[in-house]
Amino acid sequence: MEMSEKSEAGAASEGASKPIEISRQISLQRIQQRKQQLKNWQRNKKLLKLAIYSACQEEDCKCGGWKTPTPPQKPPNPPDGSVSLANFTDPCRSCTHVLESHVRHLENLPEDEINRLLSMVVDVENIFMSMPREEDPDTKRVYCYLFKLLRKCIAGMTRPVIEGPLGQPPFERPSIAKAVTNFVLYKFGHLMPREWQTMHDLAKMFLHCLNHWYFESPSVRKTDATYEEMSEYKVLYTRWLVFCHVPAFCDSLPHHETTLVFGRSLLRAVYRSVCRQLMDKCQSERDRMPPEKKILVLTHFPRFLSLLEEDVYTQDSPIWDPDFKQLPPSHLQGITDTVKVSSQSTRKPGEFEKVTVTPNEKESFTTVNLSPGFGKKHLRTDGNAASASEKKEPSGEVVQQSEAKRRKIEEGEDVPESVVADIIAVISESKKMVGPEDIFAENAARDEAAKQEERRGEIEFHVVGNSLTQTVSKRTMMWLIGLQNVFSHQLPRMPREYITRLVFDPKHKTLALIKDNRPIGGICFRMFPTQGFTEIVFCAVISNEQVKGYGTHLMNHLKDYHVRQNIFHFLTFADDFAIGYFKKQGFSKEITLSRSHYFGFIKDYEAATLMHCELQANIVYTEFTAVIRKQKEIVRKLVERRQKVVQKVHPGLTCFKEQSGNANGGWNKIPIESIPGIKKTGWQPPASSLSPTPSTSDSKSADNEGLMSALKSILNQARNQGIIYCIQG
Amino acid sequence: MFHLNMTTADSAAALVEERLKELYHLIHQIQEERVKNEHKLNNISRAHEKINQEDKMSPYYQQKLRNLYTTAVSDGEVEEELIRKALTKIYEIQSIRNERSIQSRHTGISETIRIGALMKMLQSSALTLPIWVGQPGEKPPPLCGAIPADPNYIAKVGDMVAALVRGPEEGENWILAEVVSYNAATGKYEVDDIYEQQKDRHQLSKRRVVPLPLMRASPESDPQALFPKGSVVMALYPQTTCFYKAIVNQLPVPPSDEYEVLFEDPSYAEGYSPPLNVAQRYVISIRDRKSKGTQSTSATTSQL
Repeated sequence: MEMSEKSEAGAASEGASKPIEISRQISLQRIQQRKQQLKNWQRNKKLLKLAIYSACQEEDCKCGGWKTPTPPQKPPNPPDGSVSLANFTDPCRSCTHVLESHVRHLENLPEDEINRLLSMVVDVENIFMSMPREEDPDTKRVYCYLFKLLRKCIAGMTRPVIEGPLGQPPFERPSIAKAVTNFVLYKFGHLMPREWQTMHDLAKMFLHCLNHWYFESPSVRKTDATYEEMSEYKVLYTRWLVFCHVPAFCDSLPHHETTLVFGRSLLRAVYRSVCRQLMDKCQSERDRMPPEKKILVLTHFPRFLSLLEEDVYTQDSPIWDPDFKQLPPSHLQGITDTVKVSSQSTRKPGEFEKVTVTPNEKESFTTVNLSPGFGKKHLRTDGNAASASEKKEPSGEVVQQSEAKRRKIEEGEDVPESVVADIIAVISESKKMVGPEDIFAENAARDEAAKQEERRGEIEFHVVGNSLTQTVSKRTMMWLIGLQNVFSHQLPRMPREYITRLVFDPKHKTLALIKDNRPIGGICFRMFPTQGFTEIVFCAVISNEQVKGYGTHLMNHLKDYHVRQNIFHFLTFADDFAIGYFKKQGFSKEITLSRSHYFGFIKDYEAATLMHCELQANIVYTEFTAVIRKQKEIVRKLVERRQKVVQKVHPGLTCFKEQSGNANGGWNKIPIESIPGIKKTGWQPPASSLSPTPSTSDSKSADNEGLMSALKSILNQARNQGIIYCIQG
Repeated sequence: MFHLNMTTADSAAALVEERLKELYHLIHQIQEERVKNEHKLNNISRAHEKINQEDKMSPYYQQKLRNLYTTAVSDGEVEEELIRKALTKIYEIQSIRNERSIQSRHTGISETIRIGALMKMLQSSALTLPIWVGQPGEKPPPLCGAIPADPNYIAKVGDMVAALVRGPEEGENWILAEVVSYNAATGKYEVDDIYEQQKDRHQLSKRRVVPLPLMRASPESDPQALFPKGSVVMALYPQTTCFYKAIVNQLPVPPSDEYEVLFEDPSYAEGYSPPLNVAQRYVISIRDRKSKGTQSTSATTSQL
């Protein structure tokens, strides 16, 4: 028997308690060698081996595997594995049937299948060997479970499937790998290509480490965790053992990469200790590293890890947004930005290069949702506690609020989608109709004219910026010079040199408004992706192109651009002239971003007011006014429809008004039934004039009470309107 | 000019529709006349060809030509009359619309008109200002193009003027304004700033008020009614409601064109703005008392 053979899995798990690649590699190699060895055996020998794990085929025999007639007495265990002194005619120690009875069913199996079973045998043996070494009872139990599972599969010639309360991978969305990728885009998307590549490499390194990490067993973990945390970690750990760790060594089990199937909860549970150990390890190995790697690992990696830590633990970090969308950095896309990268073609194709951005990209964003049916679905999922805790993005809250409001009003009743579709058809049709509104249209949205000009191609919007490491196209340079002129002319109180310095600073970008290939306005801004905000530095449109809605449209474009970049805060120091403009663009003097985010980052100006604007991820700002107008129009049409259903409108009472100034007294009161229309509602004068309250014994009392409350609420609403002279009492 | 009192948008639309119908008929009549007259013009040219062939003018042809020309002239006059009638209809429609927008501005107290919309209105009313088409040899009247008003001319209520008003701080500005009334006894106008309707009205003596042209001059037929290149004028700075000193750089070529002017502007290194277009309606002759127009940028930059 071969039970004393060295267990590779056991060795591996021991070795892997430190992230030492080498021992792990050796273990994996050995296992593979062993499997290859068995594969090269003769058929008979393979069958003899499998007999140990195969149930006896004799009728009514319950023997689960052939056992040698004599207990093993420390066999010499020659290295070629030819220990088998057994014969097909040897009887089994437990069931006394011959060995042949245990392998009869295997005889006609194809070689591949036999090899697969043998591979499972190797895994089973390895697990078996590592069990006694494992001290942690939970881990031991998992090994035991896997051991039994594999044995059952060998006996039944099936493939192992792990089922049960552990669930199936992936366990969380987005995965750690996706979130870390998001993180790199989000935090470093603005960097120069080389620096960006560094961050990208560090992210890869970090993910690689996690994939090969040996996590602590729950019992080893520090006990300062709460009970909930502990039990959560237990689940995570067991999943990791079963789906990631053990299958890495026992390849007959389906294997999953840790970073692809786990998400935020695992990373949160292990991040700090992983980082600590990683850094310790890096430090201890520093002398053996080549100098290049030393800089990467000792300078950049700690910074990378501490930045990532923030996003791992902050509640609303966008990197965990399942819908995270971000353009790859400009040097990898070269479309929206006009910063040209000459070396682009020579770059190695990275995984992000696949992402292409069409000019229509914005259309793939959802505009504000017009279909009430969809909204309700949204509400239901939001009401679910599990997903509500997940969804911390501000947009979700907005939807929830408005939905809740609507629900209150309509009590769950909703406008059918077909009605909304009808109305939309009418609205778009009525655009063709000519009326005084159209002839004298003066109340169009502020940005409407600019949008039309953009559609006709008369004006264009481009994000441009200078670069010290890349060739900047001549056109971009000309535009930057033009922008610098626009800013210095329109902002006479800013020193010209200062404007020049910032416009040409590679960290600053400018959204340029181009007309006849000449900048006539723009917004110069600086993104601070690590701080989650952007500073608006200069903003101007030349005098003779002002009040055409360009300023509004520029800002809306800038907002859409930032939503795509996952930056949701604008800050600016506005002078007195500019405060009005920024207010119109949704800025406020109340700063809801915490000071620690921007202090020391934003340029401080004297005699200027700091203003803040928070962006909503689910708004397309360049379409905002159009969508709102459409919604307004739909509501108006719905009211009209409703009014058509109401059969009759009575002119209202004038008797109080006519008589109130009359010295002769006039009327203070009139009988209720003399109010026009009141009888038609089904109202009846109370049976007894002495008891004004309706008798409850009345057979119609239920109806009457319903009517009573309806009329009461109408009366209350009329009173609350304030403008209606209302019946008292 | 045509004036109407209107109460509602509906009645304005009805009036417009009525005139559009008349215009429709007029245009058809014009076309008929043109076809007819073209035939006659062909006859005339054919008669000339015959005379050229015969190489001398016989008394018969002399008489024939005379008759042909007489009828062609009187027919041409009929056609001209029709075209003028059609133009009148167009002007009427325009003034209905202008009046309507003035009115909606007056009534829309709660909903003040946005500056951008106002600019568009000013621009379109300038581009649709009637063009003076005089009889041959007839001089363009006052308030056509560059021709100033008579010294004792009084602008009508609702007309646009340039008004010299005291600024909020120091200094005076020529602003675009609308006449509210004129008091003959005091010789003072009451005008509204076109931009800030809700603000106080300005009481201004006549010499502080310059009526804007009521007609455009056609550069082809009446070039003398345009400011010559290089002349110093007052012009409305684009997208503002203030007049500033400027130099005419280029004249309009077709009547639909605008002047190209250079504004005096010390914030540019050259002392002048880049060439900017200003409609005929907003270019007036300078009333230079002291040197004004140096504050142009401070007034314009604030309006982003």
